[in-house]
Amino acid sequence: MMKILKALFSSDYGMLGALLFLCVFFSSITYEQQQPVGEEGANQLSEEIIEKFPVAGTVLIVGKKGVDGNAFVEGIRKRLTREGWEIKGALTGGPPEFGRALRNVFETNSSLDLVACEQFFAQLPVVENLRKLNPASSEMRVMTPKSYGWPNFLKASNLLNVANQIAVIAILAIGMTLVIITAGIDLSVGSLIAFSAVLATWTIREWTGGVDASVFGMTVGCALAMLASGGLGLFSGAMVAYFNVPPFVASLGMMMVASGLAYMLSGGLSIYQLPASFDWLGRGDDLGGIPNAVTLMAVLYIAAHLLMSRTTIGRHVYAVGGNPEAARLSGVPVKRILLWVYASSGVLAGLGGIVMASQFRSGDPKYGLMYELYVIAAVVVGGTSLSGGRGKIFGTLIGAFIIAVIQNGMNLTGVQSYTQKVVLGMVLLAAVLLDMLKKRGWKLQE
Amino acid sequence: MKTRILFSVRTFFSLFILFLAGCGGGDEGAGMQSKEDSGSEKKGMIGVSVLTLGNPFFSVIAENITSEAAKHGYEVIVVDGDRDVQKQANQIDDFLTKGVSAIILNPCDRISIGAAVKKANAAGVPVFTCDLKCVAEGAEVVSHVGSDNLQGGKLAGDAMVDALGETGGKVLVIHFPQANSCQLRVQGFKEVINAHNRGREVGKIEVVAELDGGGVRDEGYKVAEDTMQAHPDLAGIFAINDPSALGARAALEKAGKQDQVKIVAFDGQPEGKQAIKEGKIFADPVQFPDQIGKKTVELIISYFSGEDVPSEVLIPTALYTQADGLNDPELE
Repeated sequence: MMKILKALFSSDYGMLGALLFLCVFFSSITYEQQQPVGEEGANQLSEEIIEKFPVAGTVLIVGKKGVDGNAFVEGIRKRLTREGWEIKGALTGGPPEFGRALRNVFETNSSLDLVACEQFFAQLPVVENLRKLNPASSEMRVMTPKSYGWPNFLKASNLLNVANQIAVIAILAIGMTLVIITAGIDLSVGSLIAFSAVLATWTIREWTGGVDASVFGMTVGCALAMLASGGLGLFSGAMVAYFNVPPFVASLGMMMVASGLAYMLSGGLSIYQLPASFDWLGRGDDLGGIPNAVTLMAVLYIAAHLLMSRTTIGRHVYAVGGNPEAARLSGVPVKRILLWVYASSGVLAGLGGIVMASQFRSGDPKYGLMYELYVIAAVVVGGTSLSGGRGKIFGTLIGAFIIAVIQNGMNLTGVQSYTQKVVLGMVLLAAVLLDMLKKRGWKLQE
Repeated sequence: MKTRILFSVRTFFSLFILFLAGCGGGDEGAGMQSKEDSGSEKKGMIGVSVLTLGNPFFSVIAENITSEAAKHGYEVIVVDGDRDVQKQANQIDDFLTKGVSAIILNPCDRISIGAAVKKANAAGVPVFTCDLKCVAEGAEVVSHVGSDNLQGGKLAGDAMVDALGETGGKVLVIHFPQANSCQLRVQGFKEVINAHNRGREVGKIEVVAELDGGGVRDEGYKVAEDTMQAHPDLAGIFAINDPSALGARAALEKAGKQDQVKIVAFDGQPEGKQAIKEGKIFADPVQFPDQIGKKTVELIISYFSGEDVPSEVLIPTALYTQADGLNDPELE
């Protein structure tokens, strides 16, 4: 563990500084007032109510629909009942339900001392309208949990979002890193996402039971999709290794083939006849609230890091990219390594497609459009040289996170999506520039 | 020496990213300030994710949502879903993180977006859709606002009957069957044509082909060209939107049949209206994206006021003909 940390901070991962910097930057500009939710909000508000009202009275408790809202309402109801308050109503729902409850209370001519609710309800025109129409409500007070300052960016839920949003791209980027280290490129990964998502869902729908498919049935569908994607990757690899087709062209062809296959198989429509449990991989969070897709990504990165830094295969991949002729002369099976690298890229793209299909519980041939470009951007920003022979797996992870953080940060601050494209493009250009400078030995003029 | 250059380049790069992020964040900083200035005026935020800002139809919806919401004291964030359902799902996550009061969507996929809508449901944030629907099981949408496509299709049918007159003839339908809205348009169109043909011996209007034009110009061009090979005596074309109609028009011009074949399209985008004015398209049932945007905000405000809102509101379309085009001050 320490070794990995040390490796992360060594000079090979210069981009880590940039990533940390971005995090600090976006934290500082997304600092805003936050509302405590759920039980925490309930405790805090109950304390305040008990403090402000020495004598117990009548109260209406309102929370939003959902887990947090329920916890909020239940928490306050229990606490205030214990203190002797009369609960006129405790509900979760939207503004219409809130409005109805308020009108009910006042139409029956009873009085209400307090509305304890989440911030959202206090701001609604409902309360204002009621005060205008009903003079009896002027005594009523509305209380919400006290807000506190915290950056939106640094909320735990947002950080998990960032990791979850980049998981698919980051998984594909592992394969792309290997390909680019061999001085190749794989443009087909975006289409392979669609192909694999469609093939997996199609197999489940047609062969292994559709909505009633068992775990085994789903596994078969997913395994088949990954194998098939690997097969297509292997084919591109063979074109590159045995026929000297430039990787750009080989994978460009495969990109169209895979996309076409996905459309053929699905008839252009999304396939959604899947069991509810199919979203376990993409939407579940079994490991202490960490999304399963993120756990999968972390495991794959550690495995890939060990593979590339500790094993012969890893050294061979670097050797092929550094100088294929020298590698061949020193006994590296160059062709087999190339085959293996493209096949892994295909399998990982297939896995990415399955994660995506699981996230949306459907397979669609439109998935993964332009993803190859984001994947390549992640690898390049992560410091892997496009001319081959150099690059680090964790660098790619950092690159992927830089892209995710920039996108998330810009979304949180409301930057227009056109501007976002410009910024991402410039980050990519800057990274390539850095790569060129590195190759020249950091001299600006030579 | 080498390390120093390395260090400086790295610093340069970090600063560069800072600079970019700074540019991006610039407007927002101003936005936040004005929010504080107006103090209690801002009642909350509404997050909007449109199908694509590349199509003026959706940018008009977004603009009208923004201006209408501002009247009621709500701030609006508009993001571009770019027809990418994963991107749109991420945008919904980000809206929830920001703590918006409501979300308005043009779903990029009517089923796949369900997962993200359910997340918003779980967080208790109301979701509204406009123009395009979300039909995923278990995903709750408070209300939908859209054009009345069936009525629009009927108007298109009337226009076609008008254009072909008593002689009738063969008609090509340039379809986009993946979109539910287009299916309704074609359904409405055919209802009128069938009613017209009933009890008629001569002057029947016959739909000879229904082909997928993808809703885009080049595909519209291809299907029109191919159909003219099979039916050289084609008399009319109904295209489900302006781009595919203009593609078909280009094919007609190439074949020299622009006077023989009348085109009825749909949408009424500026480009389409211009073509109607110039007589290139006979007529368009036009949609009113501005009203769609405004109506959606009205619904949100009545929802926030505690009223029950209808689950669907349809905005009728209106027929736009050359006479309208000649009087339209917005056209050249």
